Amino acid sequence: MSRLNDILENKVMPAAGRVAGQRHLQALRDGIILTMPLIIVGSLFLILGFLPIPGYEDFMARTFGDAWLTKLMYPVGATFDIMALIAAFGIAYRLAEKYNVDALTAGAISVAAFLLATPYQVPFTPEGAKEAIMVGGAIPSALMGSKGLFVAMLIAMISTEIYRFIIQKNIIIRMPDGVPPAVAKSFVALIPGFVVIALIWVLRLIVENTSFESLHNIVGEVLGKPLGVLGGSLIGTLVAVFLIQLLWSCGLHGASIVGGVMGPIWLSSMDENRLAFQADQAVPNIFTQQFIDIFIYVGGSGATLALVLAMILRARSQQMKQLGRLAIGPGFFNINEPITFGMPIVMNPLMIVPFVLTPLVMVVTTYIGMTTGLVAKPAGIAVPWTMPPIIGGYLATGGKLSGAVLQLVNFALAFGIYYPFFRMWDKQKYSEEQGAIEITTAKKLQA
Amino acid sequence: MNILLCCAAGMSTSLLVTKMEAAAAEQGIKCKIWAEGAGAINNHIDAADVLLLGPQVRYLLPQMKKLGEERNIPVDSINPVHYGMCNGAEVLKTALNLAATRV
Repeated sequence: MSRLNDILENKVMPAAGRVAGQRHLQALRDGIILTMPLIIVGSLFLILGFLPIPGYEDFMARTFGDAWLTKLMYPVGATFDIMALIAAFGIAYRLAEKYNVDALTAGAISVAAFLLATPYQVPFTPEGAKEAIMVGGAIPSALMGSKGLFVAMLIAMISTEIYRFIIQKNIIIRMPDGVPPAVAKSFVALIPGFVVIALIWVLRLIVENTSFESLHNIVGEVLGKPLGVLGGSLIGTLVAVFLIQLLWSCGLHGASIVGGVMGPIWLSSMDENRLAFQADQAVPNIFTQQFIDIFIYVGGSGATLALVLAMILRARSQQMKQLGRLAIGPGFFNINEPITFGMPIVMNPLMIVPFVLTPLVMVVTTYIGMTTGLVAKPAGIAVPWTMPPIIGGYLATGGKLSGAVLQLVNFALAFGIYYPFFRMWDKQKYSEEQGAIEITTAKKLQA
Repeated sequence: MNILLCCAAGMSTSLLVTKMEAAAAEQGIKCKIWAEGAGAINNHIDAADVLLLGPQVRYLLPQMKKLGEERNIPVDSINPVHYGMCNGAEVLKTALNLAATRV
């Protein structure tokens, strides 16, 4: 057992530290977080548009007119559909911050570069025509949303790297003496800004001469598709969840470390589902951010709410009883640090076994439930990860009871896996406590 | 005394904040304690006298220490056991001891 700890401490932890400390991954994660509040607000409107109440649609149409749904979806378009635009700014901003260069300017340059990579054309089908024609003079909203996410990520990184390189090498326009310093400073962004814009411009000109036609198409083929396959497959998800659990077993925030890589993938599959849900079509993807947050991590990474319940119901040792009471409140909101560090699960070989096993089993059962159609797939509604269970499952599936039932089934499964391990640990703690009491009473007797 | 706590999103450490505040009030120590996510530390560190990291983000320690050194703000990570049991008094003690090392 101590060999496991040895591997965790000497192999996994340093490697995880290096990955987690990597500034581009951090910037990616922190930058994309900027889109979350918007998407959650948009989700609220999305839910209102598709409340699963009989007669709701007729009622809304009678009250607000036939176009009620279109109007209700305005905020959805302004939040979900600018995901990539916001990410282009956010990622560049966070990366520039880490290099200690002006973040606001870096963000602005990145947004311009992202738009430069995007052809201002939208397809339009005129009345009576069979094929769509491309109409100029419009920014395509589809590419501002999840479809443009990978391009936005790449451009934010490239443009900020160029920006900070030029600033740090001190390549700036020198003003003659006598020019006020503030004026000189306003020119600082000119050279890096020009280089970034010129580079993306040249890239776009080259790509326009190939069969790809736009940078978005290339990135979609080269990056988007393989990553989509990785994130959309059962194996890929199992590996991701396994890594998250392994990192948490060392006491490191696995979700936040692995999320840097998987986040954008799960986010774009979430949005694909949202678009289908909004258009009243079957949702295509199973593995989205909500699959992980809502259906697997019931009570926090490792699905520990079941373990907390076991503590409250069956603990014999004082320590476990106390911990259960402390952890149940945060647990309902999927926060489980009191459990991981307090029980502890971290570096505790006995508890690491169910901690890693439970979510893996749940990924498989949830996957089976969703592919066979027993349970609804996540509808692309961005339910925040702190949403309590049952409500969370109901909302994430767009108001399907099967979503809530699935959470209950997963909870029961987790209880079953954790329980025997919990009993062993509790017994050990209990006898330690009894032993301590016997020693103190023995001492009192002697005295 | 301004004590800044940091974890991934600032959520689980905010739990500890309330416990530390209670401990401080009990001991009659006046201090401001607040929790932020790792991404927001840049904007908050200047207001702090001491920065403590949750054990789950201790991989950020080298980076945060550098940030602290530039500003003469001591930085350390919280003992995992104290963190898990939400032991406000112990973590407060850590913060105060750490702040005392400030030159």
